[in-house]
Order: sequence, then structure tokens, then C-alpha cells
Amino acid sequence: MEAVLRQLQNILELLTVTQTDRVREWDQQTLQRAFQWAEYCEQLHSRFQSNPAVRSALEAGLRDANQRLQDALPAHSPVTFSDLAQCQHKLLVHLLSNPYSPNSVVQMLFPNPKTAEQELQFDQSSVITCKSAFNLLCCSFERTSHPGLRVEAEVRGTLLRELLNSLLTRPGNDEYARTVLDCILRDSAGKPGCIYDVIAAALLSGDDDTDAVTQRFILAWMHERDGCVRELCRSLSPGVCAVLSRQSPEFKRAYWGVLKQWASCLQYDVMGSVWVPTSDGPVTFNVLADRLNHLLISGAPLKEDTETALNALKLGDGDFSVKGISVWTDLIIQLKIGS
Amino acid sequence: MAAVSETDVQFWMAKALSWGQATSCSTLLDTSRHLDYLKSFLQQVLLGLQQMSSTSEAMKTFPFVGQFLGRLCWNPCVIADERSQRLLLRCLSCLYSAEPLDAVERKANTWVKNMLCHLISEEDGSVSHATVKHAGSSPKRYHSEALQKVVSLMTEEVIKSCEGLPKTSARCSNENIHTMSTACVALVTCPQMAPLIGALLKHSMLCGSSCLNQEFIKEVSKALISKRLVLEDEAVVTLWCLSPTCLEGAAVSLLESVLSDHESMTQSLDKHVNDSLLPQASADYCHIFLTVNEIYRNVLTEIDENLALRALVQVFTACFLQRVTGQKPQDRLPLRAFFPNVTPRLLSPLLTAPSEVPREAWLDHLSWIRSLLQSVTENEEAGGDVRAYETVFEAWFLLVQCGYWVDTAVELLVLAVPENAEPLLWLLTFFHHPTNRGHQRSQQTAVAKEAWTHLRILFLSRPPPPSHLGAVKELLSSSLSTNLALHLFSNFAIFSHGPVSIITEITDKVLTEAAVKRRALWILASIRCRLNSAASRDDRVHSRLRTLQDTLLQT
Repeated sequence: MEAVLRQLQNILELLTVTQTDRVREWDQQTLQRAFQWAEYCEQLHSRFQSNPAVRSALEAGLRDANQRLQDALPAHSPVTFSDLAQCQHKLLVHLLSNPYSPNSVVQMLFPNPKTAEQELQFDQSSVITCKSAFNLLCCSFERTSHPGLRVEAEVRGTLLRELLNSLLTRPGNDEYARTVLDCILRDSAGKPGCIYDVIAAALLSGDDDTDAVTQRFILAWMHERDGCVRELCRSLSPGVCAVLSRQSPEFKRAYWGVLKQWASCLQYDVMGSVWVPTSDGPVTFNVLADRLNHLLISGAPLKEDTETALNALKLGDGDFSVKGISVWTDLIIQLKIGS
Repeated sequence: MAAVSETDVQFWMAKALSWGQATSCSTLLDTSRHLDYLKSFLQQVLLGLQQMSSTSEAMKTFPFVGQFLGRLCWNPCVIADERSQRLLLRCLSCLYSAEPLDAVERKANTWVKNMLCHLISEEDGSVSHATVKHAGSSPKRYHSEALQKVVSLMTEEVIKSCEGLPKTSARCSNENIHTMSTACVALVTCPQMAPLIGALLKHSMLCGSSCLNQEFIKEVSKALISKRLVLEDEAVVTLWCLSPTCLEGAAVSLLESVLSDHESMTQSLDKHVNDSLLPQASADYCHIFLTVNEIYRNVLTEIDENLALRALVQVFTACFLQRVTGQKPQDRLPLRAFFPNVTPRLLSPLLTAPSEVPREAWLDHLSWIRSLLQSVTENEEAGGDVRAYETVFEAWFLLVQCGYWVDTAVELLVLAVPENAEPLLWLLTFFHHPTNRGHQRSQQTAVAKEAWTHLRILFLSRPPPPSHLGAVKELLSSSLSTNLALHLFSNFAIFSHGPVSIITEITDKVLTEAAVKRRALWILASIRCRLNSAASRDDRVHSRLRTLQDTLLQT
């Protein structure tokens, strides 16, 4: 373990150096060795990713190393355990972004038929091809099965669910899995709408028991994050929410919680005879009605469940039949549900 | 500026601008349609850039190049295409200076690095960036898996839409299919794409109309012929139905591999022919058989004495007939459909495999074939018009296709008594010398008889009489009789009853020229294929065949 931790320390230092002008001195051999170390770290990651004991030790080692480097170089950005999976890529990106990096970095990326075998080649063409092929196919493909969910989100969601599956089937990985989800949410903060599509896709993909465990795990994680479920429901289309409700009782319960919370933010405007959102109310009466309607049109047993729930809410509000007193009565009237 | 014309530059700049990031369907269509031309333009640009002594000079000479290449680097359709991507990267490498001399070159270097960074990574803060970063695997693996997933979703969708197709050949109105095939144009050489390409081809067959982008079919054919794409057998055959070019490519490729005269080919010709899928596809689709035969027939008229080609035609036909026999009777087309140009009465005796006729009846069967063929040739001699000539040609071509009967005739000649030899020698002569210009047939038959007589004595007497050795050698070296004599010789060597040592000795003495040995190997190749499909296996014959082959391979 000692040796492994020392290697980790080395690669961290290496990654830091690639962001400084010291990299100017790197020759072919140094470069080659750096990539070999990075590859070794990737192997470490893939081997111990779902092994809680070893992973914690490595994480602790990383924390110490990060701390030491940060003390010496305040600009050092900490390297996390999941960064290790992409060490070579990270190294390459650092080198490409560094004006001081040696020429051989650029040259090793160019396919050169004349390059001798022994020279350093780091073929990225398959990455470039797969990445752009994926984008290209996503643009050209309209899926009919999950309305409102783009194919890209569907694929990314499936891959995310598979990663979580592989972690959660081993005990002691729950906390790490939650960290992965937190990191994804944090790093896509610029475009939260799309990340909710990915999460919805993770909740929709797969159909065995392991998948169901993972899906419950994701929902539980969302519940722990303040406002996360609300944001998810608001971001997803009514159609996708209905599909999810049909598939997962946990999601359905969460969704109903959100719908009730939205309804509570509506108040009756007597002058206009309409329900209007309060100043911080997230949705209008019609939006709410539309969401309920999607639940009603998605067939049995969701239709019956929704009717029962609406009638119970109406009853709880005093079972009025005239408009303007309970929002649930008015929704029932709007949705033409016979009681 | 000589390398690229101003008009081209304007055209391609306008294209690069209008394509943008090529996400809409119409842009995609336009990009895929122009991809081939774009590649030749990029090639020209590359040549131009390679002639420059510095990046500064390149920027001055080709002021458009930075913006042009930069835009292409953002176009997924261009960078996903294997060759375009390579050209693009090589152009970028020309703009990178190992020793930048001024600000322009330093700026160019930074720009090149940024482009590379953009090509290999995701935009910061995007969902793709976040999901790749925390994927728990390398970007290489993540992107490959993501691609596989989207391909399998699309494949599923295509298969689903096949199920919904009407049974009639109503026009397929599925826009989706067309768009998908358009997106695939640039991706045909990407290994992950094969299932989708296969499903799209299958869909097109099932819906009975061309709902695929023609460019797609063209690219798939090209990739398949150049072996840069591997498809499932079914998809390959479907492609042959959709693209005559691709089918021709496959037939020519098989032909070329045979004509390349590689040793391994002569030892497993039937396996090689079956692996080409052409026999199976021909049995399933009559037009495939007709096309392949047309090609081989045309080549045969050019090099009719080439024994490799003859062996190919014969073995291909035999493999095809085996496949037809293996089909359910209700799926089988009448054989006449496959041989439309041949006098129908010839079909039944020739297309019957020797293994289906009892050994004792071979001589009668062959005499029957001979008499049928002889009457065809006599008509030619009597009529002498073009149609009669064509009839003889078609009959002869059928005999080449069914060369296993000629091989059987020669096998019988090895042990035949003189009174039975005549029809067999006639068949052998007609096989090698179909034309009767200047009434040569009787002359050729006499040569055949002479060769046969010498070989009988040679293989029956101990030690082999030198005078006959000389006579056989002479017949083998005369351009008029080499193939015929060689055909007889090979069969004598395999089927005569003398000890193996004698056979080897005679072979060493008679077959001295390398070129003649190679020809003999092709004759052995067709004999071997016939024996492989024989009703029973004679180990003695097989071992002699192997010994002879080994003797010939030792040079």
C-alpha cells in the first residue's frame, strides 16, 4: 500500500507540474513515463473503484497529497479519486492547455504515417470518432418511446445507472455512489435542466431487481438534497413524469408530494374567478391540470389511483362541489372526472 | 495558391459556414453528400500546406485555412468520418510550428492545441462534461460505450419499424429511416456501427422500396469491398441485392484472390469460395447467381485457358448447387431460372452431381452428356451462324461450370479399356478446345488419344519407359496441348494403382517447369473439391492427392 500511495503522490505532482512552466524541460522519455504512470493510476481506479476498504485508503492518500501540494502551490486544484479514471486524458488536456509544453505533445497526437514505431504515439482518433459519431447519431434520431426525453439523455442515464449498479451491488459503496451523483449535479450546474433528463433516464432504464435498487437509491439521494425532487419534477415533461409514476411507486409518491406543494401555492382570485400562483408559486393552475391530465391518460391503474387521490384531497378540503373554495374541486371539474 | 482554386475556396468556405455544427436533417444530408468531394479538397489543401516552409507563409498563402479548418473541427459529420478526420488532423499539424518565429506562429500553435483539446474533450460545465468526468472510466471507454448504446437503441427502433411494415410492397414512408441512414454515411467504417447498418439494410429489403440514402449504400459498399467494415452475412447479402457495384466487387475480389495464385488457395478452394458467401447468396437470389456468372463468363472469354479461373467457376458452381440442394423444396427456384441461356436438355445430366450417380453408371452418364454436347456442336458445324455458335459457347460454359463431370471422365480414363475411351476423350478435348476453327477438333482428339496412350504405358510399366517420358514431356510443353495433357497426367498420378514412389518419380521427371506445376496444382484443387463432396471417402486417393500436391509444392 505504501508503494501505491507513493505512486499516487507522484502522479499528483506530475499533474501539477503539467500546469507550470517546468514542463518545458520534459523530453520524450519523461512524457512517455508520465503517460505510463497515468495509465497505472487508471488501472488502480478500475480495480478498486468498488472496493470500499482500498478505495478509502486511496482517498485518504489523495487527501494528504492534495493538502501538501496546496500548501506549496495555492493554485493546485485537488485531484479526486474519480479523476484517477481519466488520468491520461487529464494529463493530455493539461499539456495542451499549457503554452510551455514541449512540441512532442502535439506531435504525438497527429497521425503520421512516417513516424517510426518507437516514437511516442497517443492515438486519440477513436475517442474523437466515437464522440462525434455519438453526437451525430443523437441529432439524427427521434425516439418515439419516451416522449420528451432526448436520446443523448437516455444513453447517459443508462450509463450512469450501470455505474451505480456496479457500485451498489457491493456493500459499503453507498456513500461513494452519493458522492458521484453529487459531483455530477455540481459539475453540470450550468445546465441543470438537462441533468434531470439524465437522472430521469437512469430511473427509467433497466428492468431487473438490481436496477430497481439503484433507482430507489437515486430517489432517496434526491430526497436528501433540498428541493432536488421538486426541481426534477418541474424540469421533466408531464409525459415523462407520468411514465415514471407508472413505473415506480416511490417516484409516484414523490411526484404527488410536489404536485400538492404546487397546488398549495395557488390562491383563488375572486375578481377574476381564477386560481393564480402566489408570488413565489412555481406553476399555474393550467400547468397543474395538464400534469394531472397526463397521469389520467396513462391508463390503468394510474388513472384510478389519480382519481382516488384527487377525490380524497377534495374530501380533505371539505368536499365542496362549487368552484373557488378548494383547488382540488376545481381541478376535478376542469379534468371532468365523475365522482 | 496554385494548389487550390479561388472558386473552390469560396465554395467550401460557404459550405463550412452553412453547415455549422451540422445538426439539422437537411444539413446532414448536404454534408454527407459532399463528404467525398470535401475529402479531395482537404487533400489539395494538405498538399498546399505541405509545400509551405513556415506557418506564416501558409497563413499568407491560404488566408482562409484557419477559419475553414476550425469550422470543420466543430462539425460532427466531418470529424466522425475516418478519412476526413485524418486529413483534418494532418492539415492542423502543418500549421503547428516546432520553433515558432513570430507572434503569428505562436498564436497558430495555441490555436492548434485548442482545437485538439476541443476534439478530445467536452465543453466545460455541460452535462456531457459532467457525465463523462464522473463516469468511473476513461473517456475512450465512455464514448465507445455511449456510441454502442445509441446504436443499439437505433437498431431496436429500425427492427421495430420493420415489424410494422405492411406485407405489400407499399412505399415506405419512414422518414426516420432515411435520416438515420444519412447520419450513417460518415460512420460506415466505425466498428460499433455494424448492427445498425445491418438493420437498416434489412429494413430496406423488407419494405421493398428504397428508403435508404443512396450515398449510404454507396459508402457501405465501398467500405465492405475495401474490408474496412465487417457485417453479418445476412446484411452483406442484402447489400448485394441493393447495390450491384458491391456484388460485382465481391465477385471480382474472389476472382482476384484466386488469380493471385496463392498456394493456400489451391489447397482449400471450396472453403474459400464458400466463405465468400457468394454460393449461398446465389442459391437464395437468382439474380446474384446470374451477375456473378456473367462476370466470370466475361473473364473466361478473355483467358479461357487459365486453369485457376476454370477451377473457380467449377467450384463456385458445385458449392452453389450444394446450397440449392440444402434448401427446402418449397423455397427452391427451378434450376432453369439460373441457367437461362442453356439448351434445357443439357441441364439435368450436367447439374446432377457425380456423387448422386452410382459409380457403375458414370460411363453411361458421361456418354449421354457427350452425345448431347456432340449434337450441339454438330448443329454449329451444319448451321455455322452466330446463334449456333452462341449455343455451343453456352453449352461449353455449362461444361466448365460442371467441370466435375470432365474430372470424372478423366478419372475413368485412367483405368478405361480402349473401347470405352472414345466418348471420354471427346469430352476432355471439347472441354479444353471448344472451338472447331479449321476443323481442329478431330486433330485435338487425336492428340488427346496420343497423350492417353503414352500415359497409360508410362504409369503401367516398370520402370517408366524413357521414350514415353519424352513424349509426355513434349505434349506438356506444347502450348496446344499443355492443359489437356496435364489434366490427364494429374488424374493418372492420383487414380492409377502404381506405388506412390513411382508416381513421385514420374512427376519429378515430367513436371519440371514451375509454371506447369502451378497449373497442375489448380487441376488438383478442383479434383480435391470433387472428392470432398463425394459420397464415400477413399483414403488412399486422398493421401496420393496430398503426396502429389506436396511434390508439386517442393520447388
